[in-house]
Amino acid sequence: MRFAGHVFQPLPSGALYWHAQRTLLVADLHLEKMSSFARRGQMLPPYDTGLTLKRLDADLHSTGAQRLVSLGDSFHRDEGTTTLSDADRARIDTMTDLAEWLWLSGNHDPKPHVLGGQCLPHLELNGLTLTHEPRRGATNLVAGHLHPAAHIYLEGRATRRPCFVHDNRLLILPAYGSSTGSINILSPAFVDLFHWASIEVTMLGRDRLYPISPRRLVRG
Amino acid sequence: MQKPPASSVSLPPIIADWFATKGWSPRAHQLDVLASWEAGASALLIAPTGAGKTLAGFLPTLTDLIDNPGHEGLHTLYISPLKALAVDVARNLTIPITEMGLKIKVETRTGDTPASRRARQRIDPPQILLTTPEQMALLLSHPEAARMFGSLKRIVLDELHALVTSKRGDLLSLAIARLSILAPQMRITALSATVARPDLLRDWIGQPAPQAPTHLLTADGGAQPTLSILQTDERLPWAGHSANYSHRALYDTIKDHKTTLLFVNTRSQAEMLFQGLWAINDDMLPIALHHGSLSVEQRRKVEAAMVAGNLKAVVCTSTLDLGIDWGDVDLVVQVGAPKGSSRMLQRIGRANHRLDEPSKAMLVPSNRFEVLECEAALEAVAENHQDSEDPVKGGYDVLAQHILGMACAAPFFADHLYAEIQHAWPYKDLPRAQFDRILDFVATGGYALRAYERYARLRKTDEGMWRIANPQVAQQYRLNVGTIVEEPMVRVRLVRSRGFKKGQTTGPIGRGGRVLGEMEEYFFGTLAIGDTFMFGGEIVAFEGMKDNEVFVSRAQSADPKIPSYMGGKFPLSTYLAERVRRIMDTPDDWHKLPDPVSDWLRLQQFASVVPSRDSLLVETFPRGAQNYMVCYPFEGRLAHQTLGMLLTRRLERARARPLGFTASEYALAIWGLGDLSALIRTDRLSLDDLFSEDMLGDDLEDWLDESALMKRTFRNCAIISGLIERRHPGKEKTGRQITMSSDLIYDVLYQHEPDHILIQATRRDAARGLLDIERLGHMLRRIRTHIVHKPLDRISPLAVPVMLDIGKEPIFGEGRESAMADAADELMREALGGQ
Repeated sequence: MRFAGHVFQPLPSGALYWHAQRTLLVADLHLEKMSSFARRGQMLPPYDTGLTLKRLDADLHSTGAQRLVSLGDSFHRDEGTTTLSDADRARIDTMTDLAEWLWLSGNHDPKPHVLGGQCLPHLELNGLTLTHEPRRGATNLVAGHLHPAAHIYLEGRATRRPCFVHDNRLLILPAYGSSTGSINILSPAFVDLFHWASIEVTMLGRDRLYPISPRRLVRG
Repeated sequence: MQKPPASSVSLPPIIADWFATKGWSPRAHQLDVLASWEAGASALLIAPTGAGKTLAGFLPTLTDLIDNPGHEGLHTLYISPLKALAVDVARNLTIPITEMGLKIKVETRTGDTPASRRARQRIDPPQILLTTPEQMALLLSHPEAARMFGSLKRIVLDELHALVTSKRGDLLSLAIARLSILAPQMRITALSATVARPDLLRDWIGQPAPQAPTHLLTADGGAQPTLSILQTDERLPWAGHSANYSHRALYDTIKDHKTTLLFVNTRSQAEMLFQGLWAINDDMLPIALHHGSLSVEQRRKVEAAMVAGNLKAVVCTSTLDLGIDWGDVDLVVQVGAPKGSSRMLQRIGRANHRLDEPSKAMLVPSNRFEVLECEAALEAVAENHQDSEDPVKGGYDVLAQHILGMACAAPFFADHLYAEIQHAWPYKDLPRAQFDRILDFVATGGYALRAYERYARLRKTDEGMWRIANPQVAQQYRLNVGTIVEEPMVRVRLVRSRGFKKGQTTGPIGRGGRVLGEMEEYFFGTLAIGDTFMFGGEIVAFEGMKDNEVFVSRAQSADPKIPSYMGGKFPLSTYLAERVRRIMDTPDDWHKLPDPVSDWLRLQQFASVVPSRDSLLVETFPRGAQNYMVCYPFEGRLAHQTLGMLLTRRLERARARPLGFTASEYALAIWGLGDLSALIRTDRLSLDDLFSEDMLGDDLEDWLDESALMKRTFRNCAIISGLIERRHPGKEKTGRQITMSSDLIYDVLYQHEPDHILIQATRRDAARGLLDIERLGHMLRRIRTHIVHKPLDRISPLAVPVMLDIGKEPIFGEGRESAMADAADELMREALGGQ
């Protein structure tokens, strides 16, 4: 995948690897999302954080990344950093030892924390701006926040999956967290952000990626 | 379970006089019910509609209240599946009470009852309260329940046959189990249509009070119904469900009768039939439409017009299977497959409520296979054979809901509650360990990883009793009570067309038009803007969707894209399927079938073989660039769909390169690139291995973790059990949000703790529900080593119907990867300059 003059390798997990920078990018981990429901009496399974971290750990090992940038909303709530189970906490410690972890702040987790690595509002890296929320009219911007998904319809078969979406100025990563939902890229939230004639959409399959024709996109 | 002779009872003079003034005499079964009550027994009365069931149910109450005028508080609870029925029965009961000059207070309690009256009823209940299972659950979750129900002497359960096969029956059984503790003196009278296993139903009502006898009473069945199959000279279609060929003949039949009820199996069939009849309605006959997607006001209007005798015909789905009596219906028509004998008999019972005259009904097959099914139903009805479903074992999710409700009423000891729920028939065999797991789930989610102790909903007191952690828990419980989970629905609103421009994806649409009704949201995921479909008897065009509303406009199109929206697809009953196989396997009787059908079977005999009663016919043949395998298990669409899913996986492993499949009620067609005939001939593929029962092991397991049907089942369990909420106080969640999050929850839970109690609950439901694994298992055992393979050069006559369905019947939620792969290939071709 080429964006703003750089080459990226998208992974079926939803991470984006920037080989030249030995950097793994992920967006919207939403750790501790399910446990945050428990406080209100909805006992959702407390396993989403563990599953997300396990996938992330596997991606770090398979790419050999030396740096990890989490593009905001790493935790579903700021308090999430304090409700982590001991096992998940240990997993994060191992990973922060393995790679330099940069946590960018998001609307769900604006406050810095002390889990290891650095907390930053956003990051400039080799001509690109990495941040949580995409902005209209920005250039060379890599962001998350919107949880993009593509819904395609082809000969009676419909499929809706998270996706990477970019034009020549803006790239949005899919949400990486196991507990995250998604928004159709045809919905109003995306409309003004992209130059639709030059848009590219890459859907996440079971163990590969599918660049698909925007002609096939449907709503819903 | 002998019943006492009815002659031993005598009516109190007030009632006897009332009968005399009316010129009536009490019917035998009405006195039987009274005799059972006086003998201190519970009773199950099996009676057809119109047999004076209401009076039968309440005669003991009136008698007892006349004999004991000082009775304080609630005396009799009446519980029915429909609130409309409760309201109607209240009216029918008030009339004789007033005429007899009795001072008995009768009230209803439904979702429509004002909050002030509901609160008053808890403190000052009437003597007779008519309500629904959901309202019962709510009442019992209040601390006042013990006082309110302590005086209860009788429970009358109406249409019990319709409740015991669903989770509403589970909820009801648990409520009655609690009542049997609060009011040990109470006795039950249950009213039911004829069922296959009345003994099970009797056990069901006997379970709460095992110390008392339970009588099984049967009212006279009345006259034998006259049933026929529509005869026309029109050509019978091979496939499809529209029954277009029959519209003219049906229209003439409607003209010849006073009032006709036309039952169909799905809402889309209802739309098509309604449209078809109006297209030829030169006499402007008042013909109405009634199905679950229409707005409530519209349905009430139709019902009111029906009661007033203003309608000539109503096209309806199962929404009118139960309900208030309409005396004037003199013909019931079943368009499309009857699906089951008991269902058919109950629908026939909707006609002519005078017992001494025969009910009249007509079957209209919509394709050739359905002719066989209609013939089978004709025979079954003539023999009065019942094939209704048996009562089901209790759902874990419903028990979870009940446990929470009981904690809201008062703190409890686990030992006591466990003993209590064993008085509910569906839970009588529930092991203690399972009960404890469900209790643990209610308290803290029941996860192996003990993460949520500090957020617990239930906590143990120092004495070891379970109580709710805070009052919000009770509030949440009351908002989530009940077992009916709707598909995520969107409102359909009629607006003026804005003129559809290609490529236009946004822009305002004129809002504020009339609401036509509601439809499953997922249906619109398959529509493009401008697509036309039938809704509410009109052809409309899809204009767009915003929030929870879909906008449609009146369309000029004469050829709409038919909505394939779900609802009411009952599977073919095992019993009718058996009979269909027998008809096919008896060539000597084929001459009794309509010519197009017998010719068709003879052609099949010539070109291939006709499936026999005990074996499974598997045909393989090439067609175009692909190879097809068609088999005929006759086990219903759901079981075939599951079979198709599992066989495709196995064929993939056998390198037969399958591409897709289509399942009908009768057959399954799989197609692919590999030459199946050759693979079988050269022993590289064994049909015995392919169809071996072990597919229900690992293959099923592999599929379940990604199955959309499992996720839908899980969503229901998650909502009923209270894992996710229907709505928050003051903040209604949209259906869409619940669906998405429940899918994610399923993924996370299934990956991490596949043995969790809710996954277990989901599996149990799926096994007899959307996946119908139970039936598939029976079939695989039946046909083991009885597979007849027929390699053919071309499609067989019997395969034609299911082959015609290809492309018309999308498989729910499957084909994910392949759609993406094809879209990616397409992009690649574009990039290379091709097309």
